[in-house]
Amino acid sequence: MGEKKTLNLPLIGNIILTKGHSVLGIILGIIAGGILILISGVNPFDAYGAMLRGAFRNWASFTNVLVRSSPLLLGGIGVAIGIKSGLWNTGIEGFMYLGGIGAAIVSTMNLGLPPVLYVLLCFLVGMLFAGVWGAIPGYLKAYRGVNEVTCTIMMNYIAVYLTNWIVTSTPIAQPEAFYPMSLPFAQATYLPILTQGTSLHIGPFIGIVVCLVFYFLLKYTSFGFRTRMLGYNPIAARYAGVNSKRQMVIIMVIGAMLGGLAGTIECIGLRHRLYMEYVTNVGYESVAVALVAGGNPIGVLVSALFFSILKAGGATMAIETGVSSSMSSIIIALCVLFVVGVGVADEKSASARKRKAKAAAAAKKEVAE
Amino acid sequence: MDNKAYALKMQGITKRFPGTLANDHITIECEHGKVLGLLGENGAGKTTLMNILYGLFRPDEGQIFIDGEEVEIQSPSDAINHGIGMVHQHFKLVDTLTVIENVVLGLPTMKQVLDLAPAKEKLLKLCHEYELFVDPDAEVWRLPVGQQQWVEILKALYRDCKVLVLDEPTAVLTPSESNNLCRAISKITAQGKSVIFISHKLREVMEITDNVTVLRDGKVIGTIATKDATQLKLAEMMVGRAVEIERRPRAKVPADSEPVLVMKDVNVYDERGVHALKNFNLTVHAGEIVGVAGIDGNGQRELAECISGLIKPQSGTIEIKGKPVTGVISDPSFLGFIPEDRHKTGLVLDFTVAENLIIKEYMKAPFAKKGILQYKEIGSHANEMIDKFHVKTSSKDVAVKTLSGGNQQKVVIARELNPEPILDIASQPTRGLDLGAVMGVHDVLMQERERGAAVLFISAELQEVMALSDRIIVLYSGENMGDLDGDTADQAVIGQMMLGKRI
Amino acid sequence: MTSVILIDWLEAILRWSAPLIICSIGEVYAERSGIINMGIEGIMLCGALCGVAVCYYANSQVAALLACLVLGAVLGLVVAFLTVSRRTNQVVTGLMVNMLATGGTEIVFSMMAATRHNRATTFSPLFPEAMQQIPFIGKIVFAQPWSTWVAFILPFIAGFILYKTRWGLNVRAIGDNPQAAETAGISVIKVKYQTVILSGIFACLAGGVLTLASSGYFAAGGMVNGRGFIVMAAVVVGGWDPIKTMLVCVLFGAADAAQLRLQTIGSAIPNQFLQMLPYVITIIALTIMVKRSRVPKTWGAAYDGRKD
Repeated sequence: MGEKKTLNLPLIGNIILTKGHSVLGIILGIIAGGILILISGVNPFDAYGAMLRGAFRNWASFTNVLVRSSPLLLGGIGVAIGIKSGLWNTGIEGFMYLGGIGAAIVSTMNLGLPPVLYVLLCFLVGMLFAGVWGAIPGYLKAYRGVNEVTCTIMMNYIAVYLTNWIVTSTPIAQPEAFYPMSLPFAQATYLPILTQGTSLHIGPFIGIVVCLVFYFLLKYTSFGFRTRMLGYNPIAARYAGVNSKRQMVIIMVIGAMLGGLAGTIECIGLRHRLYMEYVTNVGYESVAVALVAGGNPIGVLVSALFFSILKAGGATMAIETGVSSSMSSIIIALCVLFVVGVGVADEKSASARKRKAKAAAAAKKEVAE
Repeated sequence: MDNKAYALKMQGITKRFPGTLANDHITIECEHGKVLGLLGENGAGKTTLMNILYGLFRPDEGQIFIDGEEVEIQSPSDAINHGIGMVHQHFKLVDTLTVIENVVLGLPTMKQVLDLAPAKEKLLKLCHEYELFVDPDAEVWRLPVGQQQWVEILKALYRDCKVLVLDEPTAVLTPSESNNLCRAISKITAQGKSVIFISHKLREVMEITDNVTVLRDGKVIGTIATKDATQLKLAEMMVGRAVEIERRPRAKVPADSEPVLVMKDVNVYDERGVHALKNFNLTVHAGEIVGVAGIDGNGQRELAECISGLIKPQSGTIEIKGKPVTGVISDPSFLGFIPEDRHKTGLVLDFTVAENLIIKEYMKAPFAKKGILQYKEIGSHANEMIDKFHVKTSSKDVAVKTLSGGNQQKVVIARELNPEPILDIASQPTRGLDLGAVMGVHDVLMQERERGAAVLFISAELQEVMALSDRIIVLYSGENMGDLDGDTADQAVIGQMMLGKRI
Repeated sequence: MTSVILIDWLEAILRWSAPLIICSIGEVYAERSGIINMGIEGIMLCGALCGVAVCYYANSQVAALLACLVLGAVLGLVVAFLTVSRRTNQVVTGLMVNMLATGGTEIVFSMMAATRHNRATTFSPLFPEAMQQIPFIGKIVFAQPWSTWVAFILPFIAGFILYKTRWGLNVRAIGDNPQAAETAGISVIKVKYQTVILSGIFACLAGGVLTLASSGYFAAGGMVNGRGFIVMAAVVVGGWDPIKTMLVCVLFGAADAAQLRLQTIGSAIPNQFLQMLPYVITIIALTIMVKRSRVPKTWGAAYDGRKD
């Protein structure tokens, strides 16, 4: 019986039960967002109604949600696997740029490969570029003790300028462009479009598959066991023979490659060129996705889709009601702040209570008051 | 009786924690200028009671009287204001600050802009008065543990405390430092101040205290004048049964027994650059328990960690069955290692019991095949271990942090010793366990000996080292002070060696 | 020619370092007490907008700075509530505050069309204009707005407070051993609130200085451009010491100023690589210095007062 239980995939209901504070936090975040909308002079029910219509009016509008979920799914997993092993990967933005650069270099060369091969080559090069980029903060964290958050954020800025340089002053830059961009990509590298007349490419589904793969990887493989052990107790992991430094670099590189894949997919699936500053906020949104999901890949699936609804619907909301489209990123941030704000302290006291009666919960709180 | 006679009286103190009654109507009385001993095993409720006194916990019931007046203590600053000084078992000092900064920390009388000169003067005066010498300008982390305790005591005296609480003060002291402490205590009481001395070491309580209150399971078992007490009587009150740990009978180790662990001229420096092991030599043979006695912090941790490969010695060789130790040994059939700190190194507290049982073998068949975990094998292995080592748990699938300390230790022991390693290292394996669990650990180690494993048993409790070891070595400031036969070793001799005397 | 560029560069170093230094002071206190306020990037952004907007509409620099102070305190209070009372993860909290700030400033800025095209009045130099005629030094030092002077004096005051006052002692103790501080009768939570709110105030003021000491314009989004994160790196490299951190800020400011100067004189290196300079130097500095500094022991960890 026990074995059977571990093989069960958690259902959505299960997630809601165990992740009660996430759901509560999101509700509070949406309410707080509504208050802000109200302050800006718009009826929040109208605004949220427009948002929902924007996301669910018809299949075409829902494809929009899916397209937007693609980088969040991949980036979210990239961050989540870091969270599971105790690393904060805040460099998804930079990794996406590197993935885009890799894709741009390959796909502007017109190698004349068959589409499937060409796309795979783009993936490969994009992930390789990002992986090498990610190895730098990974190495610095593991072997030099440099804080990975500061380091990856600095590298994001460097990646932005690197991309700007590539799309303005290199042979693959579009000459005399009104906005800095690369030459158009070869047709063969375009990701297949699934519904004619929309931009729904296979990217989101790659993201969903990756989520499932990582769920399996974390739970059912020795690699996942090692990763979780490192996240929970690095000292015990070291003592059990885990080379924690190498593992850190590996996790960072995997996270980077996922970010790179996200960037590649954005470029060859949606934009078909590499643009200057084409990643907007996705890096930090990925952190939000992973965090609301509690680092769980299935949770990433749910929260990435949720945030995509906010983002895709947010555009419609901006057009229909005049609320700024920045409002959706504000709502995302509010949701996360409420999720962590509602969650952390209670979770801790609950486990403390369980752990040892002696650990003494309530009494000290009274004192603090 | 008139409460005014007491410097401190705690009456009917009750404290409930979810699931346990930590203090059950406890009453203690401490007279002016006297030392009250508070005796009890770990978990008897001593520390909870003192945390209530110091305002860290609030009692559910009960009153506290100081000089006969009822007081309400809601925070440590209240306690300090009422003249209570406390030296916690784990020092509450800020390592990176200097001694004098620690002493004045939180003092409301200090001016906003610090002027440390008069404070230093006052501190030095106290140092001389109580013969507890420390350098006011030294950073605390640079001081030896004994002096850190002086800082704690001086900090309380500086605040002009009327009642000084010492929680297990001698656990970290060398015997000569313990003597200093005794002298200081008698000077403190001579001034009319009172001392509450918490310990589970009977001998000290007999020497130092005037009255003893014995706690067991959160209740007061009795209070007697020390002059009327005997060690045996106190021990019986404390545990409800005789505590003498008998030496385990055994056959002699055969003279031709094969050497398993051979350490030659090993030198280890710890992370602060302190020379933690000095030209250390040791051989442990198959079928033999070698006990390592010594006061905590004399190189025991480094000894265990360099054998298991967690830290690298700066020079010297360590070989296990002829193979040099070069990295972390995670081969469970080679080395079983029960680390000093279960929570930090021995277990992943958020993992389940089943997962904790395989954290060294998760990559190997039958637990993983081609990188895929075999939960069926892991589960049946866990059930087998739970039965074999009598781990009390509701299921193999609960997080190990929900288990009691003794059962957590059993999980560690099951994982480390079940693969029948040729060398066992048990580093303070009984620390923090109740007597029943301690005996269980001793049984396991004796079984390992019978099986033919080489066992290195490190413990700060001399009594258990003498009860279990075939040979005893004594560690003093990183040096091996000498080798004694377990059958004939004399406690007094070992005591001398623990102070650094070569015999 | 070269001396003109050199003078210009040195002048710009001081000017560009000033907001970094101001911001770093609050962050030093917060991190010394154990809380990494990652939200300073976003708070700085808010300060930049707040400074320009209030200065323009109220036509008063004093009002602008007061507004920054209040706004910074409020934002700091939010961060403090989350990280200290709710014990949330400090990285996440900071990043989300930054996201809020980016979105929020965009919206507010879009509603204030006038500040797009009209400059707010910028800070005036502290010394009379005549002193700028002094060769070399005059241009570099005496042309500086008064905020730069304040920025370079502040770290010394901050250092004095940290090392020589009771409150500073409390802050240092709390970051290293909050349990010890608590048993010594200090309210750990209160002091942490104070330091985090201070970090909010200084970050917000730094944002105000960023705009009001130079252009008088606000530009949505890229205005702060990672300066908050650079300050966080500077605090680490500077070993959590206000004065050393100031020196590191000057180094980063120099890189920032250099890239602008080099762009204008037409160097062979592409602009974008020059623009990377401050960030690259930050990473290199972190790599070299990180092992040498003594990290506050509870740096980044939540303090659970209820733990035994």
